[in-house]
Amino acid sequence: MLSSQNRSLIRFLSIYLISTLMLFALASWLFYSFTKQHLLDQQKDILLYEASHIKSQLRELHQSHSNRLIYPVAEQIESAIYDLDKRYIFGTLDERVELHSMDDIDKIYAIVDIEPHYLGAAYLLVVKNIDLEPITNLENKTLIFMLIATIFFAVLGYFLGGLFIAPMRESIERMNYFIQDATHELNTPISTILTNIEMIESMDKNLKNTQELKRIEIASKTLSRIYDDLAYLNLNHNYHRHIESIEIGLMVEERIEYFRVLAKAKELKIKLDIEPNIVLDIDKNDALRVCDNLISNAIKYNKVGGQLYIQVTQNTLVVEDSGVGINERDLGFILERFRRANKSEGGFGIGLNIVNHVVRNYGFDLQISSQQNQGTKVVIRW
Amino acid sequence: MVKVVTIVSFVIVSLFADLQKSCLACHEKEQIPSELIYKRYLLKYSTPKNIEEAMLRYLKSPTKTTSIMPPQFFLKFPMKTEIGLDDDTLRVNIELYMKKFDIKKRLYYR
Repeated sequence: MLSSQNRSLIRFLSIYLISTLMLFALASWLFYSFTKQHLLDQQKDILLYEASHIKSQLRELHQSHSNRLIYPVAEQIESAIYDLDKRYIFGTLDERVELHSMDDIDKIYAIVDIEPHYLGAAYLLVVKNIDLEPITNLENKTLIFMLIATIFFAVLGYFLGGLFIAPMRESIERMNYFIQDATHELNTPISTILTNIEMIESMDKNLKNTQELKRIEIASKTLSRIYDDLAYLNLNHNYHRHIESIEIGLMVEERIEYFRVLAKAKELKIKLDIEPNIVLDIDKNDALRVCDNLISNAIKYNKVGGQLYIQVTQNTLVVEDSGVGINERDLGFILERFRRANKSEGGFGIGLNIVNHVVRNYGFDLQISSQQNQGTKVVIRW
Repeated sequence: MVKVVTIVSFVIVSLFADLQKSCLACHEKEQIPSELIYKRYLLKYSTPKNIEEAMLRYLKSPTKTTSIMPPQFFLKFPMKTEIGLDDDTLRVNIELYMKKFDIKKRLYYR
Protein backbone atom coordinates (compact mmCIF):
# COMPACT_ATOMS: atom_id res chain seq x y z
CA MET A 1 0.00 0.00 0.00
CA LEU A 2 1.32 3.44 -0.83
CA SER A 3 2.21 5.88 1.92
CA SER A 4 -0.53 8.32 0.85
CA GLN A 5 -3.08 5.52 1.19
CA ASN A 6 -1.67 4.63 4.59
CA ARG A 7 -1.84 8.24 5.66
CA SER A 8 -5.45 8.54 4.52
CA LEU A 9 -6.38 5.33 6.32
CA ILE A 10 -4.61 6.44 9.51
CA ARG A 11 -6.28 9.85 9.37
CA PHE A 12 -9.71 8.29 8.82
CA LEU A 13 -9.18 5.72 11.58
CA SER A 14 -7.90 8.36 14.00
CA ILE A 15 -10.86 10.67 13.48
CA TYR A 16 -13.35 7.79 13.49
CA LEU A 17 -11.90 6.05 16.55
CA ILE A 18 -11.29 9.21 18.59
CA SER A 19 -14.81 10.55 18.00
CA THR A 20 -16.49 7.16 18.54
CA LEU A 21 -14.47 6.34 21.64
CA MET A 22 -15.00 9.80 23.11
CA LEU A 23 -18.75 9.34 22.69
CA PHE A 24 -18.54 5.86 24.17
CA ALA A 25 -16.32 7.02 27.03
CA LEU A 26 -18.84 9.76 27.84
CA ALA A 27 -21.75 7.29 27.74
CA SER A 28 -19.80 4.77 29.85
CA TRP A 29 -18.83 7.45 32.35
CA LEU A 30 -22.46 8.57 32.69
CA PHE A 31 -23.60 4.96 33.10
CA TYR A 32 -20.84 4.33 35.65
CA SER A 33 -21.63 7.50 37.63
CA PHE A 34 -25.38 6.81 37.76
CA THR A 35 -24.96 3.14 38.64
CA LYS A 36 -22.33 3.92 41.29
CA GLN A 37 -24.65 6.53 42.81
CA HIS A 38 -27.48 3.98 42.76
CA LEU A 39 -25.28 1.43 44.57
CA LEU A 40 -24.28 4.03 47.16
CA ASP A 41 -27.94 5.01 47.60
CA GLN A 42 -28.80 1.34 48.23
CA GLN A 43 -26.09 1.16 50.89
CA LYS A 44 -27.34 4.40 52.41
CA ASP A 45 -30.89 3.01 52.56
CA ILE A 46 -29.55 0.05 54.57
CA LEU A 47 -27.74 2.53 56.83
CA LEU A 48 -30.91 4.55 57.38
CA TYR A 49 -32.85 1.38 58.15
CA GLU A 50 -30.26 0.50 60.81
CA ALA A 51 -30.44 4.07 62.11
CA SER A 52 -34.21 3.73 62.68
CA HIS A 53 -33.44 0.53 64.64
CA ILE A 54 -30.92 2.31 66.82
CA LYS A 55 -33.39 5.13 67.32
CA SER A 56 -36.06 2.79 68.68
CA GLN A 57 -33.46 1.19 70.96
CA LEU A 58 -32.55 4.66 72.26
CA ARG A 59 -36.21 5.20 73.10
CA GLU A 60 -36.22 1.97 75.11
CA LEU A 61 -33.03 3.02 76.89
CA HIS A 62 -34.54 6.38 77.76
CA GLN A 63 -37.49 4.64 79.39
CA SER A 64 -35.30 2.17 81.23
CA HIS A 65 -34.78 2.57 84.99
CA SER A 66 -31.61 0.52 84.97
CA ASN A 67 -28.43 2.14 86.23
CA ARG A 68 -26.49 0.49 83.42
CA LEU A 69 -27.73 1.52 79.98
CA ILE A 70 -26.11 -0.52 77.19
CA TYR A 71 -25.65 1.62 74.09
CA PRO A 72 -27.14 -0.10 70.98
CA VAL A 73 -24.65 -1.56 68.51
CA ALA A 74 -25.42 -2.63 64.92
CA GLU A 75 -23.19 -4.90 62.88
CA GLN A 76 -20.63 -3.07 60.71
CA ILE A 77 -22.17 0.26 61.66
CA GLU A 78 -20.77 2.87 63.97
CA SER A 79 -22.95 5.49 65.56
CA ALA A 80 -22.95 8.42 67.96
CA ILE A 81 -25.52 10.67 69.51
CA TYR A 82 -25.28 14.48 69.76
CA ASP A 83 -27.33 17.04 71.66
CA LEU A 84 -29.12 20.04 70.16
CA ASP A 85 -25.89 22.05 70.19
CA LYS A 86 -24.27 19.17 68.23
CA ARG A 87 -22.10 18.25 71.20
CA TYR A 88 -21.07 14.61 71.43
CA ILE A 89 -22.98 12.59 74.05
CA PHE A 90 -22.02 8.98 73.48
CA GLY A 91 -21.26 6.55 70.67
CA THR A 92 -19.19 3.75 69.19
CA LEU A 93 -17.10 5.87 66.87
CA ASP A 94 -13.36 5.59 67.46
CA GLU A 95 -13.01 9.34 67.69
CA ARG A 96 -15.44 11.99 68.69
CA VAL A 97 -16.34 13.03 65.18
CA GLU A 98 -17.71 16.53 64.80
CA LEU A 99 -21.02 16.49 62.96
CA HIS A 100 -19.88 19.09 60.44
CA SER A 101 -16.47 17.60 59.69
CA MET A 102 -17.25 14.33 57.96
CA ASP A 103 -15.16 14.05 54.81
CA ASP A 104 -13.92 10.48 54.75
CA ILE A 105 -14.56 9.32 51.17
CA ASP A 106 -14.40 5.62 52.11
CA LYS A 107 -17.46 5.89 54.36
CA ILE A 108 -21.15 6.60 54.08
CA TYR A 109 -22.67 8.91 56.64
CA ALA A 110 -26.21 9.67 57.66
CA ILE A 111 -27.49 12.11 60.27
CA VAL A 112 -30.93 11.34 61.62
CA ASP A 113 -32.93 13.81 63.72
CA ILE A 114 -34.19 12.46 67.04
CA GLU A 115 -37.40 14.05 68.25
CA PRO A 116 -38.23 13.85 71.13
CA HIS A 117 -34.66 13.83 72.38
CA TYR A 118 -34.23 10.36 73.90
CA LEU A 119 -31.25 10.43 76.30
CA GLY A 120 -30.92 14.12 75.36
CA ALA A 121 -29.91 13.17 71.82
CA ALA A 122 -31.07 15.48 69.03
CA TYR A 123 -29.00 13.88 66.28
CA LEU A 124 -27.93 10.35 65.55
CA LEU A 125 -24.86 9.97 63.38
CA VAL A 126 -24.51 6.58 61.67
CA VAL A 127 -21.38 5.65 59.72
CA LYS A 128 -20.60 2.62 57.59
CA ASN A 129 -17.63 1.67 55.46
CA ILE A 130 -18.57 1.69 51.78
CA ASP A 131 -18.90 -1.84 50.45
CA LEU A 132 -16.44 -1.50 47.56
CA GLU A 133 -17.06 -4.90 45.98
CA PRO A 134 -20.09 -3.97 43.82
CA ILE A 135 -18.35 -0.72 42.81
CA THR A 136 -15.17 -2.57 41.82
CA ASN A 137 -17.31 -5.04 39.85
CA LEU A 138 -19.01 -2.13 38.12
CA GLU A 139 -15.61 -0.56 37.29
CA ASN A 140 -14.34 -3.83 35.86
CA LYS A 141 -17.48 -4.36 33.79
CA THR A 142 -17.29 -0.79 32.45
CA LEU A 143 -13.60 -1.21 31.54
CA ILE A 144 -14.23 -4.57 29.83
CA PHE A 145 -17.15 -3.03 27.95
CA MET A 146 -14.93 -0.13 26.83
CA LEU A 147 -12.17 -2.53 25.78
CA ILE A 148 -14.57 -4.69 23.75
CA ALA A 149 -16.12 -1.56 22.21
CA THR A 150 -12.64 -0.26 21.30
CA ILE A 151 -11.69 -3.54 19.61
CA PHE A 152 -15.05 -3.75 17.84
CA PHE A 153 -14.87 -0.17 16.55
CA ALA A 154 -11.21 -0.53 15.58
CA VAL A 155 -12.03 -3.60 13.46
CA LEU A 156 -15.14 -1.94 12.04
CA GLY A 157 -13.13 1.22 11.36
CA TYR A 158 -10.44 -0.77 9.56
CA PHE A 159 -13.04 -2.29 7.20
CA LEU A 160 -14.76 1.06 6.72
CA GLY A 161 -11.34 2.62 6.10
CA GLY A 162 -10.71 0.02 3.40
CA LEU A 163 -13.97 1.02 1.72
CA PHE A 164 -13.10 4.68 2.22
CA ILE A 165 -9.75 4.48 0.42
CA ALA A 166 -10.84 1.94 -2.21
CA PRO A 167 -11.46 4.60 -4.91
CA MET A 168 -8.03 6.12 -4.22
CA ARG A 169 -6.35 2.72 -4.40
CA GLU A 170 -8.11 1.94 -7.67
CA SER A 171 -7.04 5.20 -9.28
CA ILE A 172 -3.42 4.73 -8.16
CA GLU A 173 -3.41 1.15 -9.45
CA ARG A 174 -4.86 2.36 -12.75
CA MET A 175 -2.12 4.99 -12.97
CA ASN A 176 0.55 2.38 -12.23
CA TYR A 177 -0.82 0.07 -14.97
CA PHE A 178 -0.82 3.01 -17.37
CA ILE A 179 2.79 3.88 -16.52
CA GLN A 180 3.78 0.23 -16.96
CA ASP A 181 2.16 0.03 -20.37
CA ALA A 182 3.45 3.43 -21.48
CA THR A 183 7.00 2.57 -20.38
CA HIS A 184 6.90 -0.67 -22.26
CA GLU A 185 5.69 1.05 -25.42
CA LEU A 186 8.23 3.92 -25.14
CA ASN A 187 11.36 1.80 -24.92
CA THR A 188 11.82 0.77 -28.53
CA PRO A 189 10.98 4.09 -30.26
CA ILE A 190 13.26 6.12 -27.95
CA SER A 191 16.19 3.77 -28.48
CA THR A 192 15.58 3.89 -32.23
CA ILE A 193 15.49 7.70 -32.32
CA LEU A 194 18.70 8.10 -30.28
CA THR A 195 20.59 5.46 -32.29
CA ASN A 196 19.53 7.07 -35.56
CA ILE A 197 20.53 10.57 -34.38
CA GLU A 198 24.01 9.23 -33.61
CA MET A 199 24.11 7.52 -37.03
CA ILE A 200 23.04 10.71 -38.86
CA GLU A 201 25.69 12.74 -36.95
CA SER A 202 28.43 10.27 -37.87
CA MET A 203 27.29 9.97 -41.49
CA ASP A 204 26.93 13.66 -42.26
CA LYS A 205 29.17 16.07 -40.32
CA ASN A 206 27.27 19.08 -41.76
CA LEU A 207 24.06 17.94 -40.19
CA LYS A 208 25.65 17.51 -36.74
CA ASN A 209 25.35 21.16 -35.69
CA THR A 210 21.97 21.90 -37.24
CA GLN A 211 19.35 23.38 -34.92
CA GLU A 212 16.71 20.83 -35.97
CA LEU A 213 18.86 17.82 -35.12
CA LYS A 214 19.79 19.33 -31.74
CA ARG A 215 16.11 19.83 -30.92
CA ILE A 216 15.39 16.20 -31.82
CA GLU A 217 18.33 15.13 -29.61
CA ILE A 218 17.12 17.24 -26.65
CA ALA A 219 13.59 15.90 -26.94
CA SER A 220 14.85 12.33 -27.26
CA LYS A 221 17.15 12.61 -24.24
CA THR A 222 14.35 14.10 -22.18
CA LEU A 223 12.12 11.23 -23.21
CA SER A 224 14.89 8.76 -22.48
CA ARG A 225 15.35 10.12 -18.95
CA ILE A 226 11.60 9.98 -18.31
CA TYR A 227 11.62 6.41 -19.57
CA ASP A 228 14.47 5.50 -17.20
CA ASP A 229 12.63 7.01 -14.23
CA LEU A 230 9.40 5.24 -15.09
CA ALA A 231 11.21 1.93 -15.55
CA TYR A 232 12.83 2.46 -12.13
CA LEU A 233 9.41 3.14 -10.60
CA ASN A 234 7.89 0.08 -12.28
CA LEU A 235 10.39 -2.13 -10.54
CA ASN A 236 9.30 -0.35 -7.35
CA HIS A 237 12.99 0.04 -6.43
CA ASN A 238 13.12 -3.67 -5.72
CA TYR A 239 15.58 -5.11 -8.17
CA HIS A 240 18.89 -6.78 -7.64
CA ARG A 241 21.48 -4.07 -7.05
CA HIS A 242 25.04 -4.54 -8.15
CA ILE A 243 27.08 -2.49 -5.71
CA GLU A 244 30.33 -1.28 -7.21
CA SER A 245 32.85 1.49 -6.58
CA ILE A 246 31.86 4.45 -8.69
CA GLU A 247 33.85 7.63 -9.05
CA ILE A 248 31.03 10.06 -8.54
CA GLY A 249 32.84 13.11 -9.97
CA LEU A 250 33.43 11.29 -13.22
CA MET A 251 29.80 10.23 -13.45
CA VAL A 252 28.63 13.83 -12.82
CA GLU A 253 30.90 15.07 -15.62
CA GLU A 254 29.56 12.38 -17.97
CA ARG A 255 25.95 13.27 -17.18
CA ILE A 256 26.66 16.99 -17.60
CA GLU A 257 28.02 16.14 -21.00
CA TYR A 258 24.90 14.11 -21.74
CA PHE A 259 22.65 17.04 -20.77
CA ARG A 260 24.90 19.72 -22.28
CA VAL A 261 22.61 20.10 -25.30
CA LEU A 262 19.67 20.86 -22.96
CA ALA A 263 21.77 23.31 -20.91
CA LYS A 264 23.00 25.01 -24.05
CA ALA A 265 19.43 25.45 -25.28
CA LYS A 266 18.77 27.44 -22.08
CA GLU A 267 22.10 29.24 -22.33
CA LEU A 268 23.07 28.14 -18.83
CA LYS A 269 26.47 28.88 -17.32
CA ILE A 270 27.68 25.61 -15.82
CA LYS A 271 30.21 25.73 -13.02
CA LEU A 272 31.71 22.46 -11.83
CA ASP A 273 33.71 22.14 -8.63
CA ILE A 274 34.60 18.48 -8.50
CA GLU A 275 37.21 16.92 -6.26
CA PRO A 276 38.90 14.00 -8.04
CA ASN A 277 38.86 10.39 -6.85
CA ILE A 278 35.67 10.56 -4.77
CA VAL A 279 34.51 6.97 -4.83
CA LEU A 280 31.12 5.71 -3.62
CA ASP A 281 30.02 2.10 -3.22
CA ILE A 282 26.68 2.26 -4.98
CA ASP A 283 24.60 0.61 -7.70
CA LYS A 284 25.35 2.34 -10.99
CA ASN A 285 21.71 2.72 -11.95
CA ASP A 286 20.91 4.29 -8.55
CA ALA A 287 23.77 6.77 -8.93
CA LEU A 288 22.61 7.57 -12.47
CA ARG A 289 19.03 8.19 -11.33
CA VAL A 290 20.24 10.60 -8.64
CA CYS A 291 22.60 12.51 -10.93
CA ASP A 292 20.18 12.62 -13.89
CA ASN A 293 17.22 13.78 -11.88
CA LEU A 294 19.10 16.47 -9.96
CA ILE A 295 20.88 17.79 -13.08
CA SER A 296 17.80 17.66 -15.35
CA ASN A 297 15.68 19.41 -12.67
CA ALA A 298 18.36 22.09 -12.26
CA ILE A 299 18.31 22.65 -16.05
CA LYS A 300 14.57 22.32 -16.52
CA TYR A 301 13.54 24.75 -13.79
CA ASN A 302 16.38 27.22 -14.43
CA LYS A 303 15.97 30.65 -16.03
CA VAL A 304 17.30 31.31 -19.52
CA GLY A 305 20.90 32.45 -19.07
CA GLY A 306 20.89 31.21 -15.47
CA GLN A 307 23.59 29.37 -13.54
CA LEU A 308 24.08 25.72 -12.69
CA TYR A 309 26.60 24.92 -9.97
CA ILE A 310 27.65 21.38 -9.14
CA GLN A 311 30.08 20.50 -6.41
CA VAL A 312 31.42 17.11 -5.41
CA THR A 313 33.46 16.90 -2.22
CA GLN A 314 34.62 14.08 0.01
CA ASN A 315 31.18 13.87 1.70
CA THR A 316 28.74 15.85 -0.41
CA LEU A 317 27.13 16.29 -3.76
CA VAL A 318 25.67 19.78 -4.24
CA VAL A 319 23.47 20.78 -7.18
CA GLU A 320 22.43 24.42 -7.15
CA ASP A 321 20.49 26.39 -9.73
CA SER A 322 19.32 29.96 -10.12
CA GLY A 323 15.84 28.99 -11.28
CA VAL A 324 12.23 29.49 -10.27
CA GLY A 325 12.67 27.88 -6.84
CA ILE A 326 10.04 26.16 -4.70
CA ASN A 327 7.68 27.98 -2.38
CA GLU A 328 7.87 27.20 1.33
CA ARG A 329 4.46 25.51 1.41
CA ASP A 330 5.42 22.95 -1.26
CA LEU A 331 8.89 22.31 0.12
CA GLY A 332 7.53 19.91 2.76
CA PHE A 333 5.78 17.72 0.16
CA ILE A 334 8.25 17.94 -2.70
CA LEU A 335 9.66 14.45 -2.06
CA GLU A 336 6.26 12.77 -2.45
CA ARG A 337 5.55 10.81 -5.61
CA PHE A 338 3.56 12.66 -8.33
CA ARG A 339 4.04 15.93 -6.44
CA ARG A 340 5.11 18.88 -8.57
CA ALA A 341 5.83 22.30 -7.16
CA ASN A 342 5.96 23.96 -10.57
CA LYS A 343 3.74 22.83 -13.40
CA SER A 344 5.22 25.20 -16.01
CA GLU A 345 7.53 22.42 -17.22
CA GLY A 346 6.65 18.85 -18.22
CA GLY A 347 7.16 15.86 -15.96
CA PHE A 348 5.38 13.43 -13.66
CA GLY A 349 6.71 14.59 -10.34
CA ILE A 350 8.69 11.42 -9.70
CA GLY A 351 12.31 12.66 -9.98
CA LEU A 352 12.87 13.84 -6.42
CA ASN A 353 10.85 10.93 -5.09
CA ILE A 354 13.33 8.55 -6.76
CA VAL A 355 16.29 10.59 -5.44
CA ASN A 356 14.82 10.41 -1.93
CA HIS A 357 14.34 6.63 -2.18
CA VAL A 358 17.93 6.09 -3.33
CA VAL A 359 19.29 8.42 -0.63
CA ARG A 360 17.27 6.65 2.08
CA ASN A 361 18.24 3.24 0.75
CA TYR A 362 21.94 4.02 1.21
CA GLY A 363 21.48 5.89 4.50
CA PHE A 364 22.56 9.21 2.98
CA ASP A 365 21.14 12.58 4.01
CA LEU A 366 19.14 14.74 1.61
CA GLN A 367 18.66 18.45 2.17
CA ILE A 368 16.70 20.79 -0.10
CA SER A 369 16.66 24.52 0.42
CA SER A 370 14.97 26.93 -1.92
CA GLN A 371 13.82 30.49 -2.36
CA GLN A 372 11.21 31.39 -4.89
CA ASN A 373 12.61 33.09 -8.01
CA GLN A 374 16.14 32.79 -6.64
CA GLY A 375 16.95 29.11 -6.98
CA THR A 376 17.15 25.73 -5.35
CA LYS A 377 20.01 23.99 -3.63
CA VAL A 378 20.09 20.21 -3.16
CA VAL A 379 22.75 18.71 -0.91
CA ILE A 380 23.35 14.99 -0.50
CA ARG A 381 25.67 13.92 2.30
CA TRP A 382 27.09 10.43 2.63
CA MET B 1 -1.87 17.96 97.16
CA VAL B 2 -3.70 15.94 99.79
CA LYS B 3 -4.94 19.18 101.29
CA VAL B 4 -6.31 20.37 97.94
CA VAL B 5 -8.12 17.05 97.33
CA THR B 6 -9.51 17.12 100.83
CA ILE B 7 -10.74 20.70 100.43
CA VAL B 8 -12.33 20.01 97.03
CA SER B 9 -14.00 16.85 98.32
CA PHE B 10 -15.28 18.76 101.31
CA VAL B 11 -16.72 21.49 99.10
CA ILE B 12 -18.46 18.94 96.81
CA VAL B 13 -19.87 16.97 99.71
CA SER B 14 -21.14 20.13 101.34
CA LEU B 15 -22.68 21.30 98.06
CA PHE B 16 -24.46 17.97 97.59
CA ALA B 17 -25.58 18.27 101.18
CA ASP B 18 -27.09 21.65 100.26
CA LEU B 19 -28.90 20.07 97.29
CA GLN B 20 -30.16 17.30 99.49
CA LYS B 21 -31.34 19.81 102.05
CA SER B 22 -32.80 22.37 99.60
CA CYS B 23 -34.46 20.03 97.09
CA LEU B 24 -34.19 16.29 97.31
CA ALA B 25 -35.21 15.94 100.92
CA CYS B 26 -38.67 17.27 100.04
CA HIS B 27 -38.77 15.19 96.84
CA GLU B 28 -38.05 12.06 98.83
CA LYS B 29 -40.58 12.96 101.48
CA GLU B 30 -43.33 13.56 98.89
CA GLN B 31 -42.08 10.60 96.78
CA ILE B 32 -41.63 12.84 93.79
CA PRO B 33 -39.74 10.90 91.03
CA SER B 34 -36.67 13.13 90.52
CA GLU B 35 -35.13 10.97 87.84
CA LEU B 36 -38.35 10.92 85.83
CA ILE B 37 -38.48 14.71 85.97
CA TYR B 38 -34.86 14.94 84.79
CA LYS B 39 -35.62 12.59 81.88
CA ARG B 40 -38.59 14.71 80.84
CA TYR B 41 -36.35 17.78 80.77
CA LEU B 42 -33.80 15.80 78.79
CA LEU B 43 -36.47 14.62 76.35
CA LYS B 44 -37.60 18.16 75.63
CA TYR B 45 -34.53 20.38 76.01
CA SER B 46 -31.60 18.09 75.16
CA THR B 47 -28.70 20.35 76.19
CA PRO B 48 -27.59 21.09 79.79
CA LYS B 49 -27.85 24.80 79.15
CA ASN B 50 -31.44 24.60 77.90
CA ILE B 51 -32.41 22.33 80.79
CA GLU B 52 -30.83 24.69 83.31
CA GLU B 53 -32.75 27.65 81.94
CA ALA B 54 -36.06 25.74 81.92
CA MET B 55 -35.56 24.52 85.50
CA LEU B 56 -34.61 28.00 86.66
CA ARG B 57 -37.78 29.39 85.10
CA TYR B 58 -39.84 26.80 86.95
CA LEU B 59 -38.07 27.15 90.29
CA LYS B 60 -38.45 30.94 90.26
CA SER B 61 -42.10 30.69 89.34
CA PRO B 62 -43.48 27.19 89.90
CA THR B 63 -46.73 26.87 87.91
CA LYS B 64 -48.34 24.20 85.78
CA THR B 65 -47.31 26.13 82.66
CA THR B 66 -43.64 26.43 83.64
CA SER B 67 -43.48 22.84 84.83
CA ILE B 68 -42.17 20.10 82.61
CA MET B 69 -44.65 17.62 84.08
CA PRO B 70 -48.14 17.11 82.65
CA PRO B 71 -51.17 18.62 84.51
CA GLN B 72 -52.28 15.12 85.66
CA PHE B 73 -48.99 14.90 87.62
CA PHE B 74 -50.24 17.58 89.99
CA LEU B 75 -53.36 15.58 90.79
CA LYS B 76 -51.11 13.17 92.61
CA PHE B 77 -48.24 15.44 93.69
CA PRO B 78 -48.46 18.91 95.22
CA MET B 79 -47.31 22.00 93.33
CA LYS B 80 -44.07 23.13 94.86
CA THR B 81 -43.88 26.44 96.67
CA GLU B 82 -41.22 29.04 95.87
CA ILE B 83 -37.93 28.17 97.60
CA GLY B 84 -36.81 31.78 97.94
CA LEU B 85 -33.18 31.13 96.99
CA ASP B 86 -31.25 33.59 94.83
CA ASP B 87 -30.46 32.80 91.17
CA ASP B 88 -26.84 31.82 91.76
CA THR B 89 -27.75 29.32 94.48
CA LEU B 90 -30.53 27.93 92.31
CA ARG B 91 -28.13 27.50 89.38
CA VAL B 92 -25.59 25.68 91.58
CA ASN B 93 -28.32 23.34 92.82
CA ILE B 94 -29.62 22.73 89.30
CA GLU B 95 -26.12 21.84 88.10
CA LEU B 96 -25.70 19.44 91.01
CA TYR B 97 -29.09 17.95 90.28
CA MET B 98 -28.14 17.39 86.62
CA LYS B 99 -24.81 15.90 87.60
CA LYS B 100 -26.52 13.50 89.98
CA PHE B 101 -28.78 12.12 87.28
CA ASP B 102 -26.44 12.67 84.33
CA ILE B 103 -27.36 10.12 81.65
CA LYS B 104 -23.80 9.93 80.28
CA LYS B 105 -22.63 8.31 83.52
CA ARG B 106 -25.08 5.47 83.00
CA LEU B 107 -24.28 4.73 79.38
CA TYR B 108 -22.00 1.75 78.69
CA TYR B 109 -20.69 -0.28 75.82
CA ARG B 110 -21.68 -3.90 75.74
